[in-house]
Amino acid sequence: MGLSSGSVSYLRFVAEPVPEAFEPRFCEALWNHRFQEIDPHGEIEKAHGWVRFDDAFEAEIDPESLVLESGQLLLRLRIDTLKIPAATLKAYVDKAAKDRAKKDGRDLPGKKEREALKLEVAKQLRVRSLPRMQLVEAAWNVHDGEVRLFSTSKGVAGLFVDHFEKTFERKLQFVGLLEVLPLRGMTQQEIDGLALIDAERFHLIAR
Amino acid sequence: MAGADRFSFLGREFLTWLWFEAERNGGRIGVGDQSYGIEFAQKLVLESAGTLREGSTVQAEAPSQAEEARTALRVGKKVARARLVLSLGERQFSFNLDAETMAISNAKLPTELGVRDAAGLDERVALLDQLEAAVDGLYVAFVRMRSQEATWGPVRDAMRAWVSTPADA
Repeated sequence: MGLSSGSVSYLRFVAEPVPEAFEPRFCEALWNHRFQEIDPHGEIEKAHGWVRFDDAFEAEIDPESLVLESGQLLLRLRIDTLKIPAATLKAYVDKAAKDRAKKDGRDLPGKKEREALKLEVAKQLRVRSLPRMQLVEAAWNVHDGEVRLFSTSKGVAGLFVDHFEKTFERKLQFVGLLEVLPLRGMTQQEIDGLALIDAERFHLIAR
Repeated sequence: MAGADRFSFLGREFLTWLWFEAERNGGRIGVGDQSYGIEFAQKLVLESAGTLREGSTVQAEAPSQAEEARTALRVGKKVARARLVLSLGERQFSFNLDAETMAISNAKLPTELGVRDAAGLDERVALLDQLEAAVDGLYVAFVRMRSQEATWGPVRDAMRAWVSTPADA
C-alpha cells in the first residue's frame, strides 16, 4: 500500500515551498520528533514519530538518503499501539479472580477489588506483549510542495498532518475536489464561477 | 477549502461523465493534445445523493456494460467509486478512484525497476506523477466544461438520453 510496496494507495496534501539547503535543519526537526518506544511499564497505549525510510528501528536520518533525485523527501511515520484486547484482558482477569478466590478460600472478588485486579493484570500483560506496529510512508516534493501520504485512513491522516505540521512548522492542506483546481491551472475567476452550478439530474428524459 | 461539501457532487458527476465519454468514444478520451484509453473494470459503485446514500455495487469484468449499472443511473444514482484502467501510450495504470476525495487507491503501476533502491522509488514517483496529471487533466477539463452552460448543456442532454437507453442498445 506504500510507495515501496506493490500497489499504491494515498491521499494528497500540499505544503508551503521549502527553502534551499533545508536538509540539515529538517534532519534535526525529524530527530526532535522521532519515534520513541512505548515503555511497557508505563501507561501510554499509543506512540508515534519519524523513523528512517529504510529502517523502522532507526530514527537518525541520513541527509544523503533523505531526498530522491526527483526532489522527493521521503518520510516514514511509525505508529505503535500497546493495548491489550478487551476480550483477552477480561479472560485473564476472570482467571486471576478465580485463582485468588481459590487461594484465599472465599467468594469471587467484588466490583472494587476486581477493578484493582484488572489494573494489576493489565500491567502484567503489557510487559509480556509486543506493540502493534504500523508504518506509514509519505513523500514530499520539496519543489512544488505536494505531499503524498501512502494511506487512505482518516485516523492515520489526522495523526500524520498533526505530526508533520509540528515537525516542519508548515501547514498542510488536503487536496480534494476543489483544492486540485488551482494546482492544475484553473483561475480564481473560473473557480468562483462554480458557485452558480448545482448538482445535475441525469435521470430526467431529454427535452 | 470552505464549501467543499457543497461541491461534492462534482466528483460523482465527473466519474459518471467519464463513463459516458468512454462509452461514446470507443474507450478513448482526448484532453488537449493528450488521448487516454479509459476502461471501467471489476467494480463500480453508484450512490444516490443526500443523507440516505443508497448504493449499488456492480462487480463484473466490464461493470459499466452491465444493465444493473445503467438501471442504477436511471433511478438517479451516480458513480461514487470505480476501478479504472487508464492507458497512456504504451503504459497502463489500473486503480480505484473515489469521487468524494479523488483519492487513488490500490494502484498498479507499470514499473520496470525494483522498488528496493532510490532509482526504483523515483520511477514509482514519476509514474504516480503521470497518473495524477492524467486524472487531474480529465477532471479539470470536465469542470471547465461543466461550469459553462454553453458547453455543458449539449453534454447534459446527451447524458440524459444515454441514461435512458438500455446498456445493450
